[in-house]
Amino acid sequence: MGCCYSFFCKDGDSQQRGEPNERTHLLVDPVSNSANIPQYNSEDFLNNSNTLPKKTDEQSALNRILQETATNVIDVAALDSHNLQQHEYVERMRQYSSKLQQACATNKLPVRHKLCVLQDIPAPEKILSSESVSEDDLNLISTAVTKAAAAIGEIKVEHKEDMVVLFRVPD
Amino acid sequence: MEKHLDRVMDDVLSNPGVTSCVFVDHQGLCLGARGKASTECAGIIGAIADQAAKLEPQHKSPIIVFENDTRACIIQRNGTITGAIFKNI
Repeated sequence: MGCCYSFFCKDGDSQQRGEPNERTHLLVDPVSNSANIPQYNSEDFLNNSNTLPKKTDEQSALNRILQETATNVIDVAALDSHNLQQHEYVERMRQYSSKLQQACATNKLPVRHKLCVLQDIPAPEKILSSESVSEDDLNLISTAVTKAAAAIGEIKVEHKEDMVVLFRVPD
Repeated sequence: MEKHLDRVMDDVLSNPGVTSCVFVDHQGLCLGARGKASTECAGIIGAIADQAAKLEPQHKSPIIVFENDTRACIIQRNGTITGAIFKNI
């Protein structure tokens, strides 16, 4: 809502920004509007040279606003376009590791004991993340062992000759 | 007598990639071997199966797999018999 007229309304503020607010006049000054006579003060004629610095002030204020907006805005599209190349990764990795070593050296951090159980494996995460035993292998060993157990259960002595032999003792 | 076991071992070797197999009894004695596997590894295979089974005694016998970049050894116990299959990856 705007006020119809207020003594405290300052035309300068609202007109400079060009935005209507609660203090903006709904009705412009009837006297000046109908008469369409520009109001000049005697000071205006005297201080005519002051209009130029005012303009530059406005310009600088505008520039300042633009600059602030630009710093506050994060341009996501522009960020995406900048992809890190492989060598940049490597460079950064070297940089960070050297910094880390320096920091460790200066702070004299205690040397970590080797707690890794798989220290003889160069890349344990590769092996641990690999696929476990395949279904085929599981089936193979389980069927083989089951069959072998059954086969061994069937082992029995096949006698081809009589177990008891009568010795013919000559009379 | 052991014809059945021989047939089983031949069947195992006919699988792709399998180079040899060994079957061991509960005392670690070799019941049969086919392929490149040595009969001398029978005792070790039985011991490995025994030790691995102690990890979770309430469950059925585990399947143990040793592998490197090129080969794998798969071991399992069934009752009194332990089988080991060596294969190329």
